[in-house]
Amino acid sequence: MAAAAPGQLNLDESPSWGSRSVDCFEKLEQIGEGTYGQVYMAKEIRTGEIVALKKIRMDNEREGFPITAIREIKILKKLHHENVIQLKEIVTSPGPEKDEQGRSADGNKYKGSIYMVFEYMDHDLTGLADRPGMRFSVPQIKCYMRQLLTGLHYCHVNQVLHRDIKGSNLLIDNEGNLKLADFGLARSFSGDHNANLTNRVITLWYRPPELLLGTTKYGPAVDMWSVGCIFAELLHGKPILPGKNEPEQLNKIFELCGAPDELTWPGVTKMPWYTNFKPTRPMKKRLREVFKHFDRHALELLERMLTLDPSQRISAKDALDAEYFWNDPLPCDPKSLPKYESSHEFQTKKKRQQQRQHEEMAKRQKLQHPPQHARLPPIQPTGQAHPQLRPGPNQPIHNSQPPVVAGPSHHYGKPRPSGGPNRYPPGGNPSGGYNPNRGGQGGGYSGGPYPQGRGPPYAASGMPGAGPRGGGGGGGGGGGYGVGAPNYPQAGPYGSGSGAGRGPNMMGGNRNQQYGWQQ
Amino acid sequence: MLVSAGDGEIPVEGGEPTTTRVLEAISCVLERLVTRNERVVSSPDSVRNSGKGLSVFQGVRAPSISISKYLERIFKYTSCSPSCFVVGYIYMDRLVHRHPDSLVGSLNVHRLVLTSVMVASKVLDDEHYNNAFYARVGGISNSELNRLELELLFLLDFSVVVSSRVFESYCLHLEKEMMWNGINQRIDRNMSSSTGEETEISVGDTMQSSSPNAID
Repeated sequence: MAAAAPGQLNLDESPSWGSRSVDCFEKLEQIGEGTYGQVYMAKEIRTGEIVALKKIRMDNEREGFPITAIREIKILKKLHHENVIQLKEIVTSPGPEKDEQGRSADGNKYKGSIYMVFEYMDHDLTGLADRPGMRFSVPQIKCYMRQLLTGLHYCHVNQVLHRDIKGSNLLIDNEGNLKLADFGLARSFSGDHNANLTNRVITLWYRPPELLLGTTKYGPAVDMWSVGCIFAELLHGKPILPGKNEPEQLNKIFELCGAPDELTWPGVTKMPWYTNFKPTRPMKKRLREVFKHFDRHALELLERMLTLDPSQRISAKDALDAEYFWNDPLPCDPKSLPKYESSHEFQTKKKRQQQRQHEEMAKRQKLQHPPQHARLPPIQPTGQAHPQLRPGPNQPIHNSQPPVVAGPSHHYGKPRPSGGPNRYPPGGNPSGGYNPNRGGQGGGYSGGPYPQGRGPPYAASGMPGAGPRGGGGGGGGGGGYGVGAPNYPQAGPYGSGSGAGRGPNMMGGNRNQQYGWQQ
Repeated sequence: MLVSAGDGEIPVEGGEPTTTRVLEAISCVLERLVTRNERVVSSPDSVRNSGKGLSVFQGVRAPSISISKYLERIFKYTSCSPSCFVVGYIYMDRLVHRHPDSLVGSLNVHRLVLTSVMVASKVLDDEHYNNAFYARVGGISNSELNRLELELLFLLDFSVVVSSRVFESYCLHLEKEMMWNGINQRIDRNMSSSTGEETEISVGDTMQSSSPNAID
């Protein structure tokens, strides 16, 4: 270690992170709110560029700088890919009462706030899929899936495990680009899989069987299971494995994929928690039966993603080579995708207030009407890049009045539009009444009686105070594949913070705690 | 190789002997560095200054506990992986390279080590103790450690990634330094016995106000 480095020029550094003040940005509106802090849509004053500012919550004294933030920063500093969210810089806001050295009274010059600056994205996949009447076309699904796999392949090649792949962490902009976000649980891995890693990761519904069976040695295959769940969800129209707790999750997996044995998954009986969770009865694989409405190539690929044995599960790279992506209808060009209403327009305070009132009323409304979960399956292959078929009560572009703000009177409870041959019944949505708050709600109604928080991370609608709250707990999900659970795990992709209330999440609560459990 | 490194990330492996060697090597290197810097600082021409960047890490008096005992203590109570010490050392090295006016000395080395190792463990280990615990182990207050943590992160410009290649090269470097140091110590001893001159400045002989509190 050099005591000093005489003559050394520090030329490799661009303006260092943290050197700029948040004053370089004009906050346009709050687009997310959670226990992790707030997310703002903001404009860089000098360039006019729109960004997302995620405030890092610093009020947990015992934890210090949140580990999720450290990890996210660390990982995102090394990843640069069009399908991975870009962390642009870190900015600080000066605390109150500074003395001339820039320190506040108690000597902490960062007492103010610390923000991560991200590129701005309009939607997240879950929020988009949940818009009333939203129906993805097959080329669109292929397009998203291919981008997801490309981004993930890049992560895996760079030896990063994401460990929290789910729809709400996949951000989509109005150019149709999909980017992986929320790397708060991500970590690097070594090629040999010998390190002991925590198995308390990945939102329950997307968590692979090996983690549920307690393994601490795992690799990229964990992310691929989650991708499989998302893939099926896109095709099926709703989450396929909505377990309420870990045993139930595993049971749902076995019911769908069959109970593993030493033949299908060598070594499974030696897994740490196998004896606790081993299937009580023989179960055979029902994947092809349950999803018989999927097209052949999709089913083929899905089967290889939802393979119980992680060593046999398809890799991101091989998945990109799958027939599915190379057969008609081909994935469409992201740019050809429809633009859903932009969240870029600045909303006045007045409008916000109105919306808050709406939200209040919607909240009350929700208390009276338990939510239905029913996402629509994709429209059938049309070969078209532009899903003109996209049915639904919402108009694709209506800027001034986001459909999100359902308000008390809006019920999208009209007969379900049946765009395209709908070959299977939308299970679990008996009423056909859309939850008025489903689509792109981006939350805002946070703290409602159930954690709707399914909205886009920054409220597609541009709603103030919107955002992923993942309001914890929530009503019970239904069993089987038919019923979507209302308690959808959710946290904003920018909300990696400590994100309490991520639904049936790994720790069912504060993410920070999972690292502090020895405490 | 002190610690074997995997392809992508620093492994968590390392039995007792390896760990001991890692700690030994790092404390050797740090002690030598501090000694050298103290010499520089105490020479009349130099300005007694640890550099602006590290001023927050500056204690009033040098803690009585030696660097090696301090490292041992951190390892014993936090059971963080040995790689955290190597990576913590890398952070300190990055720090002084980024801020060439910063001198690691007896007044700041303990706080630097504690903070660096803690940040390394947050970055590397899936399971780790929180700042409050590290503060108790290190003998400083929770709020001070939080402040130091932020200071370190910003001084590092959040460059907390250590590639396995860099990690390995530091391991080699540490190993060499330790060998060299072993020889050097012998030489030193010979020299001082022949000249009778006291050249070494001990890190741990001063009264202090900030030695780590005992933990049960």
